[in-house]
Amino acid sequence: MRSRFALSLTLLALTASLTGALAGPGGNAGSVSGTVTFTGTPPKMRPIDMSKEPSCAAQHATPLMNETIVSGPGNTVQNAVVYISAGDQPSAAPTQTVRYDQKGCEYLPHVLVMHAGQPLEIYNDDQTSHNIHPLARTNPEWNKSQPPGSPAIKATYAQPEFIPVKCNIHPWMHGYFVVLNTTHGVATGNDGKFSIAGLPPGKYTVTAWHEKFGTLSQEIEITGSSAATANFAFKALPY
Amino acid sequence: MTDWSVKRWRTLLLLSGSLGLATNLAAMGPAGDLERARYAMYVASLGGVVSTPTEYAGDMHANAAIPAFARKYNMPCSACHTAWPELNAFGQRFRDRGYQLGNDRDSPIWVNPSYIPFAIRTTPGWRMERTTNQPVDAGLGTTEKTITQSGFDISGADLLMMGTLYKNITFGFVPTIADGEGVGIEAAFVRFDNLFRSTWANLKVGKFEMDNMLSEKRGMMLSSNGAFYQSYHFVAPGDGTTFGLGDNQIGAEWQGHSDNSYTRLTLAVLGGVDGTPGLPEGKSYDGMFAASQAFDMGNLGLQRIGLYGYLGHRPTSFETVGGEPVPGTGTDNKPFSRFGAVGDFFLGNLELIPLVMHASDDKDLAGGTQDATWNSGLLEVHYYVSPQLVFTQRSEIIRMSQQALPSIPDHKGNIDAFTFGYRWYPIMFSRAGLAMVGELSFTKTIGTMPLSGDGVGLDPLTDDTAVKSTSLLIAFDFDF
Amino acid sequence: MQRIFLRGCAAGFGLLLSAAGVLAAQAQSVSHVGNLTGNAAAGAREYRRYCVGCHGQAGDGLGENAMWVDPRPRDFTAAVFKCRSTPTGTLPTDDDLYRSVTRGFVTTNMPSWEPLTRQARANVVAYIKTFSSRWSQGPGTPIPVPPETPATMESILHGRQLFQSMECWKCHGAAGHGDGPSASTLTDSKDNPIRPYNFASGSRFKCGDSNADLYRVFMTGLDGTPMPSFADNIQPNDAWDLVHFLRTLQPMPSPEAALWQAWLPGHAGELKPIGPD
Repeated sequence: MRSRFALSLTLLALTASLTGALAGPGGNAGSVSGTVTFTGTPPKMRPIDMSKEPSCAAQHATPLMNETIVSGPGNTVQNAVVYISAGDQPSAAPTQTVRYDQKGCEYLPHVLVMHAGQPLEIYNDDQTSHNIHPLARTNPEWNKSQPPGSPAIKATYAQPEFIPVKCNIHPWMHGYFVVLNTTHGVATGNDGKFSIAGLPPGKYTVTAWHEKFGTLSQEIEITGSSAATANFAFKALPY
Repeated sequence: MTDWSVKRWRTLLLLSGSLGLATNLAAMGPAGDLERARYAMYVASLGGVVSTPTEYAGDMHANAAIPAFARKYNMPCSACHTAWPELNAFGQRFRDRGYQLGNDRDSPIWVNPSYIPFAIRTTPGWRMERTTNQPVDAGLGTTEKTITQSGFDISGADLLMMGTLYKNITFGFVPTIADGEGVGIEAAFVRFDNLFRSTWANLKVGKFEMDNMLSEKRGMMLSSNGAFYQSYHFVAPGDGTTFGLGDNQIGAEWQGHSDNSYTRLTLAVLGGVDGTPGLPEGKSYDGMFAASQAFDMGNLGLQRIGLYGYLGHRPTSFETVGGEPVPGTGTDNKPFSRFGAVGDFFLGNLELIPLVMHASDDKDLAGGTQDATWNSGLLEVHYYVSPQLVFTQRSEIIRMSQQALPSIPDHKGNIDAFTFGYRWYPIMFSRAGLAMVGELSFTKTIGTMPLSGDGVGLDPLTDDTAVKSTSLLIAFDFDF
Repeated sequence: MQRIFLRGCAAGFGLLLSAAGVLAAQAQSVSHVGNLTGNAAAGAREYRRYCVGCHGQAGDGLGENAMWVDPRPRDFTAAVFKCRSTPTGTLPTDDDLYRSVTRGFVTTNMPSWEPLTRQARANVVAYIKTFSSRWSQGPGTPIPVPPETPATMESILHGRQLFQSMECWKCHGAAGHGDGPSASTLTDSKDNPIRPYNFASGSRFKCGDSNADLYRVFMTGLDGTPMPSFADNIQPNDAWDLVHFLRTLQPMPSPEAALWQAWLPGHAGELKPIGPD
């Protein structure tokens, strides 16, 4: 009796997964999107004094502001990374290179999202030397000098990690490498919006990370090719 | 038994002016105890403190483990010591460098000004001393009894002040306090390190422990009998030579060592005063040498072998005033010597320290018609269960090979000594140290009063008597 | 009942296996230094005696003395090491670690442990490698160090140009006094303040005294500190030129400094000052 029940359950599960697999182009059509905002009062950002590096100071008509918190109209959060932290299938590293620029003594983009094992290229577009010093813990920490005009530095990170990046010569320069083990991750722009597509049906945990505000997670479920919504509202404190 | 009754006997002797008062004194010969007593009186009158071996080894543990160094350099005791106070190879090099690590931060200017190079060591506890065949009054005569003393007791304290005055200028100052004896100065020296920028040229001047590979001041035992290296203090029966290889001497020492201190050479010129200040003797000088070489034996550990020798002189006559000798005017020097070899071997956690010595005192110093010579040997074993627990054992023998007088029996003065002990360190810390000590020590001496241990301080009634002295110690040895 | 018993046995056995695995990993950690093989089990005993006071029971640089020590003791769990012969971001070789233990780090609380037997030092190296799982990847490949070029004035002057163009002066200062524009803001990877090396101080280099050691400092970088690797930017022979110039900044006598002192009085006017263009 018991074994027959088990058999029918197994058949049912098989059918369901086959149906899912044979769903055709709609099989990966699920998506999740939303907006990342904050409530409360965040700390004030201050202008950066670049007088020690005149060639960079000259590139900013108005002084660059500290980029720890960058927000847009409606208290939207820029430079938050929203990604699928659970429920995703293992994925191979894309072969497409991601690019990190040092321009005007600023890291562009401030937060760079990449997949573990994805090739990374770091460019120095300035007239001054920079040293690129990603402070990895799980991945190896390295520190390389990059004089102006030198070729791009190539690197990859094998382990998922949130890696602060700094330049020791220019102490105001801060950025992040966000190394994920999924391709389903994106950084928000000034409007705080994100959209992650290509999700097969299933249950997922979506996580929003910000260097200052911390992390928030939500569970979503994709059925068929549904477009789920997940909004994140960080609590901001003035310090 | 405190030494006041010994002093009483000595004073009686002096006042009576006669020598062979009691039968138990006759066998010692004319020069023996009288000379010693006379010497002690003069030293006392000059304000110096004579170290009396019958005290609970209070003055035995100077120059010991120094937590001030741990504070200055932020290291636990185990870094420099196998089990404090004994030094390991790293600590030996630190010491040879003049208590400097050689990291360009040794000059005291680099240390917070509130750091004072000061440490204290003392050892309270409970002890028992038992000595057999001690002459005591019985009616109008004398009989022999076993004297046992026991109870809680404190040791003296050593104030250890050692460090650098400046880069490559080292100092040491160790006053020692013993209740009833006042304050003595165990060590006071300045050392110029790495002269001519060479590790082979270091000059120390003052009062200091000689470069004995087996250091009594950094010894692992503390009981009356156990803390005492018989070989380092023994003189023949009737011999009045004031000398102990384990006593701190006053003089100048040149020391050289290889960069890792595996090779060490020492030459010293010392006053012939056995470390007593005030120029009490003559104008003669003693010489000491020591040399050792260590070998890296991989998994076994470091093995070291050494040779040492001491050649000394003591005056046999003084100018007198009113019959009393005038200090500093000693002449008619006669020589004495101590030579030997010593090893320090590691078999993993087991350390073996053998030492052999041949000693010879000139007949005039020995108070007889021929030179007094003797040989001694000891084997000390340490087993380090961990940096916080060590078991120790020592076996030592002294055998007279020639007595000063043919009338003195061959075996008189011979010593057999055994000690068993442990030291357990409940904390192994970078600021202070504590050791719980247990020790049992036996000494057997033929025909003379025991050199170590308590007892009444007199020879037994016959030359054949084997006097047995036993010490039992349970104590807390702490060090701040 | 029997099934539960079997399951219990299986779980217990599994636990035993994993514990044995840990111990085995520790016991298996070996080091190879010259013809010596150090083993971690013996190294653990040496570590307890000599190292734990600063580097901590867990090897995390949080020993009882750590709060009083500047620079802080190394955190072995991070597996980031300053003095290496291998490229930045890679682990040092056993030999690098052995030399660091033997040499110590001048001006710091880390003494030279040379009086310890060679075997003891090799054992400690093996034990240090048990503090981080990253050691399973093995050390990096030592960078090739070509034979040193002759120390000529040409070499020294070219080295001086490199000091300018590589912007060493931004941290180390125009005269190498450790007072460059960025010097006061430097922090190490644990956010502790750190000063760049002051060539005029007269202290020896922490990673070794020889020209080859100095070569490796800037060609492998000092991981964990702001000092980067210039291996991608300086050619090996040019690196020797920089080494020769850096020696002229130090007060200790050296052939390069002697050459420089002899040349300088007659030619000082020819030198373009080091600093912002």
